[in-house]
Amino acid sequence: MSLLTFFQWCEASGIGETIRKSSWLFPVIEAIHLLGLGVIGGAVLVVDLRLLGLGLRRQSAAQLTRDAQPWLVGSLVLMIITGGLLFLSEAIKCYYHDAFWFKMSCLFLAIVFTFTIQRKVIMTDESRLRPLWSKVVAVVSVLLWAGVGIGGRWIGFS
Amino acid sequence: MKRVLIGFFFVLTLALCYLVTSPTQAAYRVPTSSKAAVHIHLISPDAGSEKWARLGLGYFGRPLPLGSMLLQDESTSAAPKGSLLAFFQRMGDSSWSTGLHESRYAYDLIESVHVWALCLFFGLAVMFDFRLLGWTMKSVPVSEVARRLLPWTAVGFVVMVISGTLLFSAIPLRSYQNIFFRAKMIMLLLAGLNVWIFHSGVYRRVTTWDVENVPPKAARVAGALSLVLWVCIVLSGRMIAYNWFDCDRQPQPAIINLLTSCVPTQAEH
Repeated sequence: MSLLTFFQWCEASGIGETIRKSSWLFPVIEAIHLLGLGVIGGAVLVVDLRLLGLGLRRQSAAQLTRDAQPWLVGSLVLMIITGGLLFLSEAIKCYYHDAFWFKMSCLFLAIVFTFTIQRKVIMTDESRLRPLWSKVVAVVSVLLWAGVGIGGRWIGFS
Repeated sequence: MKRVLIGFFFVLTLALCYLVTSPTQAAYRVPTSSKAAVHIHLISPDAGSEKWARLGLGYFGRPLPLGSMLLQDESTSAAPKGSLLAFFQRMGDSSWSTGLHESRYAYDLIESVHVWALCLFFGLAVMFDFRLLGWTMKSVPVSEVARRLLPWTAVGFVVMVISGTLLFSAIPLRSYQNIFFRAKMIMLLLAGLNVWIFHSGVYRRVTTWDVENVPPKAARVAGALSLVLWVCIVLSGRMIAYNWFDCDRQPQPAIINLLTSCVPTQAEH
């Protein structure tokens, strides 16, 4: 089964069909997707601003990560569920849209980066880490997540 | 910073009072040029094949039949002189407004900035609300979160207001008569009021509860209210783009026409 066949199957699925037929389902799901975006943004920024030395300073990045993590994961799950529903309703459009592939690549990289490299750097004892590294990690993290957001907005434009 | 915020909300209050009380009793239609409609998600008037679509693109490049559009070029309709409606009508006819909504990239770019700034403004404001509710960063003093994160929220807010105003100026009349836009403005006012009450009330005594895992009830209520209001503001903001309750989609229930100060013309009955 080729990828396109799979996308066509998604498009033809009952859920996709229902969302397409309804005049309000897509907007509502999209709006919830947007709320998730805000919360993810907040959870990511709390940690990254700390790493950049621009946000909270007295707490360790490790502590803030532990605090923000449930919100990051929670809103990520919400985003993936609502995003999946939106995708089902217009899978073929996504298949032919560069922005969709850009977004998915960024999303994959952002998730992998956040939960491997960034996590490792944050959990390392700060005294043993060159300050430059935490800044680099924060910038990469912001850029990757911004890529996801930019790609997402871009899908909406033809 | 606090004075600037209070000043801003004062101006917003005045503007809203005018918005609510200004005379808008005349037969008119929303003059939305077909170009502006590119930015509005149109719900097909045909109930049998109800679906949302975007004019100009249609679905998958299939153009939508123009006959199904209820938007029309009618910038000469009569609004009472001196009313807010007439003002927004003139604003919509200005070269600035037309240029903005007809531009290939400017409108989309401003709209994107408005959405992305959500992360900075809404995201961090929500994190502060979560702290007030005792849901996150419990080991961080509340005043510390306020001092280090709220300036970022303020930056986000300024970006939101500027980009939002630009978006409004591109399609002023249609936005003004949009029920979700009106709801959003009212909730914005309430959210501002909530911020003011919080900062002049329980937050003044923050030193007495700064390090508590779960702040006192007044602070929790402020956090919860702020959370609910901002969530509703984001939701209604998204809904502004859809035309379910637009004036040019008659018949609408009387209550909708009242809330959007729409007076359908005779031909629409």
